[in-house]
Amino acid sequence: MDITLEVNGETRHLSIDPRVTLLDALRERLGITGPKKGCDRGQCGACTVHVDGRPVLACLTLAATVREPVRTVEGLAADGRPHPVQQAFAEQDALQCGFCTSGQVMSAVAAVEQEVADVREFMSGNLCRCAAYPNIVAAVEQARSTKESADARV
Amino acid sequence: MTMRTDAPLKTSGAARYGLDVTPPGTVYGYVVTSTIAHGEITAMDVAAVRAAPGVLAVYTPFDPLPLRTPMSPLLGETWVPLQDTEVTYYGQPVGFVVAETFEQARDAALLVEVTYDRRPARTSLHAGLADALDAPPSLHGEPPTLQVLADGVESIEDALAASAVRVDATYETATQNHAAMEPHSAVAVWEDGRLTLYSGTQGSDLQAAQLAQALDVEPARVRALNPFVGGAFGGKGHAGVSAFLGAAAARDLGRPVKAALTREQVFTATATRPATVQRLRIGADADGRLTALAHDSWSSTTATPSFVEPTSHGTSREWYTTPNLAITQKMVPLHVPPTTFMRAPGEAPGSFALESAMDELAVALGMDPVELRLRNSSIAPPGRDLQWSSKHLDECFTLGAQRFGWAQRHRRRVDRDWLVGYGTATAMFPALRFPCAVRITLRPDDTAEVATSGADPGTGLRTVLSLFGAEALAIPPERVEAALGDSTLPPGGMSGGSTATASVGSAIAVGAPAVIDALVAVATGPGGLFEGREVAYADGRVFAEGDSATFGEVLRAAGRDEVTAIGTSAPGEEMTKHSFSSFGAQFCEVRVHRWTREVRMSRMLGVFDAGRIVHEQAARSQIMGGMIWGVSAALHEGLEIEESGRPANGDFASYLIPVNADIPTVDVEFVRYPDTLHNPVGARGLGEISVVGVAAAIANAVYDATGIRVRRIPIVLEDLLE
Repeated sequence: MDITLEVNGETRHLSIDPRVTLLDALRERLGITGPKKGCDRGQCGACTVHVDGRPVLACLTLAATVREPVRTVEGLAADGRPHPVQQAFAEQDALQCGFCTSGQVMSAVAAVEQEVADVREFMSGNLCRCAAYPNIVAAVEQARSTKESADARV
Repeated sequence: MTMRTDAPLKTSGAARYGLDVTPPGTVYGYVVTSTIAHGEITAMDVAAVRAAPGVLAVYTPFDPLPLRTPMSPLLGETWVPLQDTEVTYYGQPVGFVVAETFEQARDAALLVEVTYDRRPARTSLHAGLADALDAPPSLHGEPPTLQVLADGVESIEDALAASAVRVDATYETATQNHAAMEPHSAVAVWEDGRLTLYSGTQGSDLQAAQLAQALDVEPARVRALNPFVGGAFGGKGHAGVSAFLGAAAARDLGRPVKAALTREQVFTATATRPATVQRLRIGADADGRLTALAHDSWSSTTATPSFVEPTSHGTSREWYTTPNLAITQKMVPLHVPPTTFMRAPGEAPGSFALESAMDELAVALGMDPVELRLRNSSIAPPGRDLQWSSKHLDECFTLGAQRFGWAQRHRRRVDRDWLVGYGTATAMFPALRFPCAVRITLRPDDTAEVATSGADPGTGLRTVLSLFGAEALAIPPERVEAALGDSTLPPGGMSGGSTATASVGSAIAVGAPAVIDALVAVATGPGGLFEGREVAYADGRVFAEGDSATFGEVLRAAGRDEVTAIGTSAPGEEMTKHSFSSFGAQFCEVRVHRWTREVRMSRMLGVFDAGRIVHEQAARSQIMGGMIWGVSAALHEGLEIEESGRPANGDFASYLIPVNADIPTVDVEFVRYPDTLHNPVGARGLGEISVVGVAAAIANAVYDATGIRVRRIPIVLEDLLE
């Protein structure tokens, strides 16, 4: 079937099997490989992307059902500058092998945008076998304070 | 301090892991696995598979891809799939379907009909204890059964019987899966009889060598690439079925093949840490000095015995001073998934038993568990002459006890409905290094490259290469580019055994003076900037009397694209002079809910003596992650194998590993004594020691909180019901 996806601000046309997940459409058809396949069952969070601004498990989403804009980790940087969450992950060393990081970053962006009360609880859908969890929490806190000081300036 | 050098690539999605490559014309492979644990495949009906849309090929033991069994000095034999009809575990690869798309391959693979001649499966470690076999010799070449007895002592039993205080207890640890976030996978491309393989492994040169042997091609015709590896932890040492089948099918079909195991398949078709049973008998005098230590170990292994978890040799063999020591290591062959090394093999489950037993001894003596450990700290492994090169375990304990507030443990601690307890344990892991070669290149733009085939599966090796290169060349690390994860680079060996930092550091210490010599030869040679003059190198510059130039200027003046040298190193004479290990003290606080019996780790501290710390932030992260692995072993993870051999919880929904909400802050501290007796850079490796002892510290804290001694991990609610 023919579908249209808007990914990171670009409109992409695809002719795909209806069984294709959003994750496999991004990775295998569009060459957008930031989102990772860690389980293909919605159990690990490595595939997390935003659809219409909300975090979504791309492996449990059929590509053909997606109507709203998709944003992946590749679409976070603005004007060549990393998103404050990306910067915070790097500075806080909130990663080791990096395989879960794209998904962690997308959940963390949502955590900051939604101003969640319990960061550890909110981030618990993203497994990290290297167990960078304390540093991930520190990164979310750093990005949140960056956002608060930016908001205060505005 | 610079951040981890690949952090910008990993946080932006730009780091390319094996499966992120999709060459033009790529087709997709899907593995089919067995649904019995033991028997023979008598038939496979694949007619419906062949007729399914998009299917290009179906490979089975009746229509196999020819593969030979690779053999390597480090890894031994590596199993290759589909070469016979024997099934020896549930979830064993028995077929491979290749189709134009992933969806087509997956759906077609479900149509395979397998007929088995089923045989009884042995799947219970407990049932096999009575007729267990002796394990192969240990890492040190010592026999599985070993005794060191004081003069005049007839047997370990006599020594135990003569001890004033005794502990005798049996402990159990679960089968575990490495469960790296990146499933085992490969993309294989053949061009002009040459294979390029993109696959996350712990050593690209080992991967290439195994593939070349399996495929019966010249080693030079296989290039393995793994610039980024999505976690390994020991589970990506051997080349995997995706690599073997993908590469062989790509050759057969003349198309690039991409293949990945599903998460469920990773739990059976890769390898696991064996389950263990361990009996500890410890005798001590009234002052808490050990008089006898006996550690009997049983490990599960595969039907044809392979890796055995060396729990007694990995711990009691070396940790404490005792005049009488007896250890045994047995194995129980079972129809279970393959076994292999996993983060701190031997030490992690072995320390649960030994350090729980030491806690039981402290209770029996009425002694502070920290004091008991300090009192029995070894100067050398019992019965060996070679003393530890640099041991500051006492400082780890005293510093840790102070920082943790260990002295507070005597207070009755109940916080609302939570019972609070403290626990501690020793951590040790041998300091090792492997043969390693690193190429150092100076370039005309005043940058340098440090290159080796080794892997950075999240350990920080890429960052360490830049830092060591910068230090040895006396230039800023920003000017040193690291290259790794490519089998065409000088052989860096395997990222395993906590060896990589010491190994590459030693090689760079040899290579850097060599490349500086080569630079000086260019500067002073015919046509050189300082031809015929006396020169010296410092801080990236060549100095002649009254004059100097950067190395880039020297190279440009001589019209040279680069100067290069390869430094090699290997363990040597130091092994005849000392014993080498890293050391640590683990402390943790747990809370056990008075009514639900839920256990939460609420606070933990690890203090480590691991030689020089090269990159503070990455070192802390790696240690923290390892300590959380210990929490996982104690409270979360274990692969439950049913009587039939089927794993009951082989996916990420039911194989529990900690999530963010399970983990509060983790405190890490180092005592910093560079161990230059072990290697010239003084670093001893951090990857594994952090796991060691944590599970015991948690079980000991649970005892402190509840008075209930749990001798089996993971600890579950039922263990704490009264």
